[in-house]
Amino acid sequence: MAQAVLTAITPETLSNSSNARSRRAVDRFATAMLWLAAGAVVGMLVLLIVYLFVKGASAISWNFLVGFPSAANAGGGVGPEIFNSFYILFLTLFFTVPVAVCAGMYLQEYAGPGRFRDLIQFSAESLATVPSIVMGLFGLLIFVQTFHWHFTALGGALTLTLLNLPAMMRVTQEALAGVPGTYREASMGLGATKWQTVVKAILPSAIGPLTTGVVLVSGRIFGETAALIYTAGASVSYGKSAYDLNPFHTAETLAVHIYSIHREGLVPDADAIANGSSLVLLVMVLAFNAVARILGRALTLRLTGKA
Amino acid sequence: MVGVRASKAHRDERLAVAVLATCSGIFIFAIAMILGFLAFTGTRLFFHDRVSPFVFLFSSNWDGLSGNFGALPFIVGSLIATGFAILIGGPLGVAIGVFFSELAPKRVADAMKPAIEVLVGIPSIVYGWLGLTLLVPLIGSIFHTGGDGLLAAGIVLSVMILPTVISLSEDALRVVPNSLREGSAALGATRWETISRVLIPSARSGLAVAIILGIARAIGETLAVQLVLGNAPVLVTSLLRPASAMTSEIVMDMADAPDGSAFQHALFSMALLLLLISMALIVLIRLALRKRA
Repeated sequence: MAQAVLTAITPETLSNSSNARSRRAVDRFATAMLWLAAGAVVGMLVLLIVYLFVKGASAISWNFLVGFPSAANAGGGVGPEIFNSFYILFLTLFFTVPVAVCAGMYLQEYAGPGRFRDLIQFSAESLATVPSIVMGLFGLLIFVQTFHWHFTALGGALTLTLLNLPAMMRVTQEALAGVPGTYREASMGLGATKWQTVVKAILPSAIGPLTTGVVLVSGRIFGETAALIYTAGASVSYGKSAYDLNPFHTAETLAVHIYSIHREGLVPDADAIANGSSLVLLVMVLAFNAVARILGRALTLRLTGKA
Repeated sequence: MVGVRASKAHRDERLAVAVLATCSGIFIFAIAMILGFLAFTGTRLFFHDRVSPFVFLFSSNWDGLSGNFGALPFIVGSLIATGFAILIGGPLGVAIGVFFSELAPKRVADAMKPAIEVLVGIPSIVYGWLGLTLLVPLIGSIFHTGGDGLLAAGIVLSVMILPTVISLSEDALRVVPNSLREGSAALGATRWETISRVLIPSARSGLAVAIILGIARAIGETLAVQLVLGNAPVLVTSLLRPASAMTSEIVMDMADAPDGSAFQHALFSMALLLLLISMALIVLIRLALRKRA
């Protein structure tokens, strides 16, 4: 194939396009456009972040962050929503990480090429492209309508588990693929079984990138909306406390709150609450990204002695 | 095997393989369940409620509560918004992928990569909220309209698919062997000539995958689109008029549709259609990659 492509460039095609000076001018122009494109996107991102900070900052207060939402008056908070976001994140990771890490280990270390491996790969790819709202309807069908749980934190978390299994498996595969083959050979050469090798030699060496990946996926779980509206629900449960640990209670997250408060439009300060909530979500995304980097680097350093 | 008396290590080994394979099997089970349940519920409209699939696909009369289930406005809305997103986000994303792979000095790339990761991490509801408060008023003041509609949705989506397109096209270009770059340079090609005539053609299947996954991301996107579309269930006549898409209509109407009603079944039919489109895109990607191999 290399030859076939290179024959497209011959002295003739180069010279009959135009002379050397204008070719260099085109090159410089194209280079400038590529820099411009990249710069524009980063510039836009910075603008969006600044905008969210400027708009959201005035809505943020201690009362907003820990207070209860209000049904019809101004001044409601998002305390239970923030709590629910973390709670559902925790539940989702509790299901996702073991299954996805095991599947990733299987694909990367055990499965030889063959039908089963292809089928897993195809299933994971398909699962990864299921739109989040479609997964939400599947969750509704199973957990709400078939199991009759109503809207629950657990149903939401299980729906998000299905949505994030493929990403988490990929993260695992990539982390394991980064471990040099010599580790495997050395460990097996010392008489360790494959499982001992995976658990005691490979997994510890991969823990840095693995942690980074898990935290980055967590950031996405934290902000997920469409899959949760009809599984975890769009209201908070008022049990004995809004900080409700019962996984069978309705649990509106912060991201869903932005949707529901806009849709219902009952409170007069809906825009301010949405601005504040958006800022909290953005700060969490930035925090997850920062933590992913720091933790990944620190763990790699600690367990392997090199950065 | 040594193990007539199966030592503990060997027992562990067999147990480990069984557990790991089971976890992998969960993926197969999950997608099979999703397909099965949605295929059943998504066709209830046709088999149980006796609505013709042709009406569902080609009628533009939608009024769930009075029993009209023409989903054409939403199918068209989804396709136009997605097409628009690819038209802008596709070339721009590939360009930035080229920038990362061929141009960017390491320090610039290291500084910009976290920005792309943040772009991935921003929740779709926040993109929607930004679109509603920033983009919609802007479009409204330029064109003297309400500002909501497919133009706004297309722009928001084009930003949202950028990270996918950027990172996949960068990967696609990075696997092009260096000998091609060197050969092209040795023939006197400038860097741009190398990029446009050698690298992009030889990375085309990988670039196609980048675009297809961008499409998959755009067509399934829900809340970012719902907030800026204006949500009018009518066949689109202008990019600047309120419109609706399959995803946004599902999320809006699901709250009003009684369990087990034809209305709800129609929404599940749309979900099934979205699922089938996504699966078709995955098959398309497999074909694109097989051609390369």
